[in-house]
Amino acid sequence: MEVTDAAVVALVLAGDRDAFRVLVERHSRSIFRVVFRMTGNQQDAEEIVQETFLRAYKSLERFELRANFSTWLYRIAVNRTLDFLNARKTHMQTKDTYQIADNPDGEEGKQVQLPATGPGPERLLLSAEMKRKIAGAMGMLSPSERVAFTMRHMEGRSIEEISKALDLRASAAKNSVFRAVQKLRQQLEPFVGAVK
Amino acid sequence: MNHLSEEQIVLHYYGDAENNGDIQRHLAACSACWGQFEQVQSLLQQIEPAEVPELAAGFEEKTWLNLRDRLPEKRKGFLPQLFSQKWALVGVMALLLLAAFLTGRWWPRTPDNNAGTKPGDVNPQRVVLVAVGDHLERSQMLLVEIMNADTKGPIDLSTEQAQARELLDANYLYRVSAQRTGDPQVTRVLDELGRVLTEIANGPTDLTAADLKEIRKRIQAEGLLFKIRVVGSQVDSKVRGQERDGAGNINQRL
Repeated sequence: MEVTDAAVVALVLAGDRDAFRVLVERHSRSIFRVVFRMTGNQQDAEEIVQETFLRAYKSLERFELRANFSTWLYRIAVNRTLDFLNARKTHMQTKDTYQIADNPDGEEGKQVQLPATGPGPERLLLSAEMKRKIAGAMGMLSPSERVAFTMRHMEGRSIEEISKALDLRASAAKNSVFRAVQKLRQQLEPFVGAVK
Repeated sequence: MNHLSEEQIVLHYYGDAENNGDIQRHLAACSACWGQFEQVQSLLQQIEPAEVPELAAGFEEKTWLNLRDRLPEKRKGFLPQLFSQKWALVGVMALLLLAAFLTGRWWPRTPDNNAGTKPGDVNPQRVVLVAVGDHLERSQMLLVEIMNADTKGPIDLSTEQAQARELLDANYLYRVSAQRTGDPQVTRVLDELGRVLTEIANGPTDLTAADLKEIRKRIQAEGLLFKIRVVGSQVDSKVRGQERDGAGNINQRL
């Protein structure tokens, strides 16, 4: 019989700090998957996974029974990722940034931000050139657009889930997804025909 | 009729537009908008879900070890939580149900010669011992199944993986219990068992022969099956000893 997440949370709150390990073992892999898709970098994703669990542990008293623990954790992870992407954007605007010379009409000083190390999240695409273009185009999305697009397009999350996770109205969540797609179209459509 | 906006087309692709039915009808009638929709569709279909790198088997363990020392102590004691956290009450109820289940499942029928035993004589240590013995036996069966799994053709260990996940939770609780009662031998075996169960539980669903070989190597390298048999038999002896000595002897270590 599997001990429920709620029972484990009760143990942790009763003072058994080590019981939290059960929750880490159950959920860290799925949280990593989500975060990696948003950051595109393994090392960053691993770090955010730890930050997510740390935040969850500290906020455990506020966890509501009605909420599913994994859903609650997922929201924390999304917000930690968003914070991370915002911080990285600020950092990279002033520090080293990859630049793609042929970036067409890009925003943010025509610079495309790519993860500094590690594999990108577009490895499934057949064309290496297209992968490079997609990485570049994803890097041009704002953090909230990137997170909303990843949730909708890659994770298959509903608009309602996105709006709850990002604490947005549904119309704003839809708009984030739309703006992301619009930017991706501007950057990538010239290449779609060539790859096909 | 006005053409569809880019936003309507994009949201329609995801099924998120306000009036999907109207948009669908418009697309069927308007080749210009249909062309736009096809462009969006073609692009988005090429942006596939990202391939996530394969994580090492000990990822969870590593995450936990990095995290453990950063976790502040929580205020101890159930009562304040029970009154301030409604969900904690439900959690505790779940634990009580689990305890009741285990007790009901594993507490042997009282033989005639114990007919006079009072309910107050129930030995909680014995309940735990019986549960640990059962846990070791189930784990042993799982490991034996994996050691003997057929490697010809596709390997499907999804049932075994589900079992490993269940055993993993119980394993953690028994390990903590063994640690607290100061039984290093049981703690050590449950610790080693936990690592192997984690590897099995979190392995890919479509295992290759090489993956399976790796898991088997791990089981063999740690001599885990042998250790489980030894500790399992010691636990059984303790349970039998307690049966002989009567239910009142509660000083037995786990």
